[in-house]
Amino acid sequence: MSGQPGGDGASGRFGVNLGGFRMELEFEVDAGRVLVLFGPSGAGKTTALRTIAGLVRPDAGHIDIAGRTVYADGNGAGGRPIWVQPHRRGVGYVTQQNHLFPHLTVRQNIAYGLPDRRSEPARQRVAELVARLRLDGLEDRRVWQLSGGQQQRAALARALAPSPDLLLLDEPFAALDMELRRELGAELRATVRQFDVPVILVTHSREEALALGDEVQIIDAGVTVASGPPLTALEQPGRGRVARLVGVENLLEMRVTARLPQDGTMVCAAAEHLLETPLADGCAVGDPVTVGIRASDIILAAGPLPQSSARNTWAGVVSAVSPRPPGYEVTLDCDGMPLRCHITGTSMEAMGIATGLPLWAIFKASSCFLLSE
Amino acid sequence: MIARFFLGNGRADGGRHQASLGALAPAGVAATVIYVLFIGLPIVALLARAGQQEGFLTGLTGELVLQALRLTVITSVVSMMVVVVVGTPFALLLARRRSTVLRVIDTFVELPIVLPPVVAGVAMLMAFGRNGLLGPALGALGVTLPFTTAAVIFAQVFVAAPFYIRAARIGFAGVDPTYEEVSQTLGVSPWATFWRLTLPVAWPSLLTGLTLAWARAVSEFGATIMFAGNLTGRTQTMPLAIMTAMESSLGSALALAVLLLAMSALALAALSVLLRRTGPTA
Repeated sequence: MSGQPGGDGASGRFGVNLGGFRMELEFEVDAGRVLVLFGPSGAGKTTALRTIAGLVRPDAGHIDIAGRTVYADGNGAGGRPIWVQPHRRGVGYVTQQNHLFPHLTVRQNIAYGLPDRRSEPARQRVAELVARLRLDGLEDRRVWQLSGGQQQRAALARALAPSPDLLLLDEPFAALDMELRRELGAELRATVRQFDVPVILVTHSREEALALGDEVQIIDAGVTVASGPPLTALEQPGRGRVARLVGVENLLEMRVTARLPQDGTMVCAAAEHLLETPLADGCAVGDPVTVGIRASDIILAAGPLPQSSARNTWAGVVSAVSPRPPGYEVTLDCDGMPLRCHITGTSMEAMGIATGLPLWAIFKASSCFLLSE
Repeated sequence: MIARFFLGNGRADGGRHQASLGALAPAGVAATVIYVLFIGLPIVALLARAGQQEGFLTGLTGELVLQALRLTVITSVVSMMVVVVVGTPFALLLARRRSTVLRVIDTFVELPIVLPPVVAGVAMLMAFGRNGLLGPALGALGVTLPFTTAAVIFAQVFVAAPFYIRAARIGFAGVDPTYEEVSQTLGVSPWATFWRLTLPVAWPSLLTGLTLAWARAVSEFGATIMFAGNLTGRTQTMPLAIMTAMESSLGSALALAVLLLAMSALALAALSVLLRRTGPTA
């Protein structure tokens, strides 16, 4: 394994205007780690990557890659404006459509960014990447002869070949099917660790963000609305706006009716529905709250569990079933309060779930989280 | 074969699909036969007559033919160099930038394709002739253009350039700029990116355009005779020489005609081979 430069990370803070769209971003990512920019389409994720790559020019701030300033507006401490052109930034950029060069073979694509493409070190570098990304035997193929997954691996190999100081991935797996995504995701993580390069990955898939990110920044309309470790930022978002962005399936408008400090919980109610949630410090009895529950945190059962530690048990009737690969989404109507639950196809068959079936929804107090805003 | 030029690299489905024409089939077959005869018969007649025409072989090696051939080759090659050097960056700009001015220019570029060549010749006289718009200025510099070999090249560039520029623009437009951006992130400068990526990917279009432009330059007649005249060895290219020879020696005229036909066929064949070697690049 050849030594990789870019032991340093990348960071920056910039503002950019693009056709009436304004984006402000502050980011920091260490070598060998993956920062995920998560958000809906149109949030500005791609603009962020393109700005860092030098393909779009920001109008304020600074960007540093591997200890080198590649952009500075000149108003900062240094005082001098800096602009490094894209081809001098040492940044690898992989797009959703991979953009492998159609007139070259796989081998030529991977070698494209190497300084002396016919030299022995270049040959070795290509061989190393071919082996790492399992492209053996495909070196002399034209790119349109590769499958979608192979194309993305080749694009990744091409971006890594010149040992970039920063790797930018723009929805790299969006065009692939589920299974391939998982496989490539695992491969990406291993590759990133091995090459010890900082990575910024853009995605609108929560699963991808959870699986690949060390750190997540949730972006909406050009600004970061939340950031942190993926499990915190995506699974238990603290704010309603973020919850809607990351797709928390159940958001219930309730009112606090009792505080149970001895259990660390409190009881919330909406009409006759009662719910036990974690105790929130700022909440007094009578306060309105929004409670979020992830569809995958709810257990469906044919009857109430006779003895269980789960604090919440609601009775309901199945009102809708829709496929949600790889499983199904079941909507349970609990006396006028719809609850969405995710289950596997096997569970659905075993329980014979269909609309009209009475079921019980069971979930722990700690699966409920409170949202502000 | 010519159709390939206008339709790109063959049919989209590789020719496997046989569409059902239904009742139109007989009409299609009849039209095809008539058209092939219409194009083929004169060519066969030309070759047959040339084979038995007295003075054809001596005409082939005669001074009139050789001078016209030499002049045609030299002027058309120089014209194509001018067309490529000026037309390539121009076509790239047309393909990459959007502006009202460029849109107008884009339409204007194709004017010489529909303009009668004789009109082009008169227009060039009005511009570069002794009494033309730039005539006094050129005269002051000691430059006379009309009725020189340079005028032949002017005429050829004028009528032929649009064929190349048009094809090149389409070729460049087919290269998604994101490819160029990815190339730059790989450490390749914009200039090197053009040579290593944009040009090779657009190559089939450029080659096709260049062949069409060259064929147009070689067959140029109207603008040349108006602006450059018909001077043996200086401005008398093969089409002009054919007209001249028709009045005196049918053998020489046929020799020139067969040579021109051979050159065109050869260019087509060469293009076809080169395109096939380049392979599909979509």
